[in-house]
Amino acid sequence: MIGMDEKLSFFKDGLRLDGRLPDELRPIKVEVGVLARADGSCYMEMGENKVIAAVYGPREVHPRHLQEVTRAIVRYRYNMASFSVEERKRPGPDRRSYEVSKVSREALEPVILTSYFPRSVVDVFVEVLQADAGTRTAGINAASVALADAGIPMRSLISSCAAGKVDGEIVLDPMKLEDNFGEADVPIAMNPSGEITLLQMDGRLSKEELQRALELAKAGCQQIYEIQRKVLIDRYSHMDDMGSCDEVVAEEEI
Amino acid sequence: MDRMDRNVVVPGDILSDDPNRSGEGTYVKDGCVRSLLYGMASSYKDKMRVIPLAGKYVPSPGDTVIGTIQDIVFSNWIININSPYEGLLHISELPRKIEMNEMSKYLRIGSSVMIRVKDVDSTMKVELTMNDRRLGILTRGRVAEINPTRVPRLIGKGGSMINMLKKELNCNIFVGQNGRIWVDGNDDDMDLALKTVLIIEKEAHTTGLTDRILEFLRVEKEARS
Amino acid sequence: MSDVVMAEIRKDYLYHLMLKGERADGRAFDEYREISLETGLIRKADGSALVRLGKTTVMVGVKIQPGEPFSDTPNKGVIITNAELVPLASPSFEPGPPNEVGIELARVVDRGVRESGAIDLESLCITPGEKVWIVFIDVHILDDCGNLMDASSLGAIAALMTATVPAAQYALGEDYPLPVKDVPVATTAVEFGDSVIFDPDTDEESVADTKLTVITTADGSICGMQKSRPGFISQDQIYRIVDIACERAKEIREKFLEV
Repeated sequence: MIGMDEKLSFFKDGLRLDGRLPDELRPIKVEVGVLARADGSCYMEMGENKVIAAVYGPREVHPRHLQEVTRAIVRYRYNMASFSVEERKRPGPDRRSYEVSKVSREALEPVILTSYFPRSVVDVFVEVLQADAGTRTAGINAASVALADAGIPMRSLISSCAAGKVDGEIVLDPMKLEDNFGEADVPIAMNPSGEITLLQMDGRLSKEELQRALELAKAGCQQIYEIQRKVLIDRYSHMDDMGSCDEVVAEEEI
Repeated sequence: MDRMDRNVVVPGDILSDDPNRSGEGTYVKDGCVRSLLYGMASSYKDKMRVIPLAGKYVPSPGDTVIGTIQDIVFSNWIININSPYEGLLHISELPRKIEMNEMSKYLRIGSSVMIRVKDVDSTMKVELTMNDRRLGILTRGRVAEINPTRVPRLIGKGGSMINMLKKELNCNIFVGQNGRIWVDGNDDDMDLALKTVLIIEKEAHTTGLTDRILEFLRVEKEARS
Repeated sequence: MSDVVMAEIRKDYLYHLMLKGERADGRAFDEYREISLETGLIRKADGSALVRLGKTTVMVGVKIQPGEPFSDTPNKGVIITNAELVPLASPSFEPGPPNEVGIELARVVDRGVRESGAIDLESLCITPGEKVWIVFIDVHILDDCGNLMDASSLGAIAALMTATVPAAQYALGEDYPLPVKDVPVATTAVEFGDSVIFDPDTDEESVADTKLTVITTADGSICGMQKSRPGFISQDQIYRIVDIACERAKEIREKFLEV
């Protein structure tokens, strides 16, 4: 274990400990439609983070008193598997996961057309199978793809990542080691037009550093957006004779 | 300029820069028509529209659906119609008059019914009716489920696909708007019918489907004889 | 979520098939769905396994940490098994602490590992009465398409067999592979009408009168059983299930858990 008092160097020849440039994301892997029971689902890896998101709904609300007459409610449950972190986590929600669930829901809710489904609920469940700093942003990215996969009407996808400050330098998408010994962490989520739906910050930053962090994180979100969009598009382009869908449209008029 | 014409799109994709062309499954933002759904975009009667690739059945008056009796409460049957919203069938909506105490004799919990959506109010209270001779209780045959978004494809233009299936398969087939399909015939025919329905569901977004299905049926039937 | 009533027409169909000796997915009565097993996917865990049994998907993580022994077994390590039926895995699972189904699942998985003697608990003693290794087996259900018992049990033993005791991390010597001395395999059948169907899917589970899980060891003995669902089962039927269970378990052991 590395003691807090030891001076760590987080950069070598301008590269980070895992060989990334300061403005580089960790490798991302995405799969859509991975769960048979869910209405929509997505598995995502961002570096060492492994998360899986499922969407159920719109469906009936239980208990009924939570129903809203004019719109669907959105529920989001972020949960970490006991084996996802170094020291085994006690199963079940803690204060941190309640907060993460709340801000994640609020990051996605602005794009969901809840008025289309009065009295119903859209349930989003995110399970973290392995954690390495950035699980909430990975969860939001996976959840956004899973919502689209479930056919939920949305104004756009949502993409999310963090920027941090390590060794006095602003970096994109901090990994665990950088997060633990870093000076600040700024996770954000946004739509492709750059409107921000999640913003948290802890640590210490100057105004200039905050600006730099937001710019970096936004650039990261844009890259993630392209990956999210591509996995959805590619899912239906494996068919060899997909040239046009004239016939689909023609036959649809019944 | 329609960059996304006849393509798979995701929510937020720009479909047209002419706001007047906003059709079903789209919205307008900053003067551009954008997709609200993950689906297939196409141009239809001067509008851009998006047909979803997934999603739940939302009841609409006049739809014929297949339901399962879930509960009996006062003078209503509560019916699962494969939707976020359950349907209510009032005792007065049957083709013949029955008494309150006969309700569970007429339609038990677990029974399947072919039924019509009579009315849906703004809070999504769904009223059903069985008062039509084409509606009724399903006592034979089998029921399969497909994604409701694929129903139009299974029916085909002017019923072309479904009529072809009925003819080729020697089965009675009913397609509920809620994605539940009822087939009735002999066992082998029903097996093949349900297998075919699942292929149509899976390949709903591809072209040349009717011809491929015809070919598939020909090969399957040859293998059988 | 409240459970949806299954349509009688569907039940009738399954019953009708059963009478003909068939199943909805075309399997023979004693045939398992395709099994796939991957180990070591979770690097933060000391052992892990992802099991797919048809579409049923289960992730099992093993964590090994030093802790205090129970006072009545001061020189033995501790096994703690937990199962999470997270709502991501099925429309009928709800958030909250484990319900009776989750607790039963964890206890049956635990029984197989414990009663087979797969883990030599005495070898997990560090300082008698003070410090022993605690082995946490966490079963995380990801997609419930039936027969969680078998998928979870397979995941547990596969994760244990590939687990490392992280001694270096706690300055207790060098890391070493967790010694595993037996390979328990669970096999589950349901009784439906008079027929016995192995590796039931969710529909088959919901129409079944009775379910029986049999856990067998490498030498073919039985180290755990669990009858569930509120139905009857005859002695003859038990013997029949045990016979086939031993065969299936042997095949699974040879194919996936070759030591």
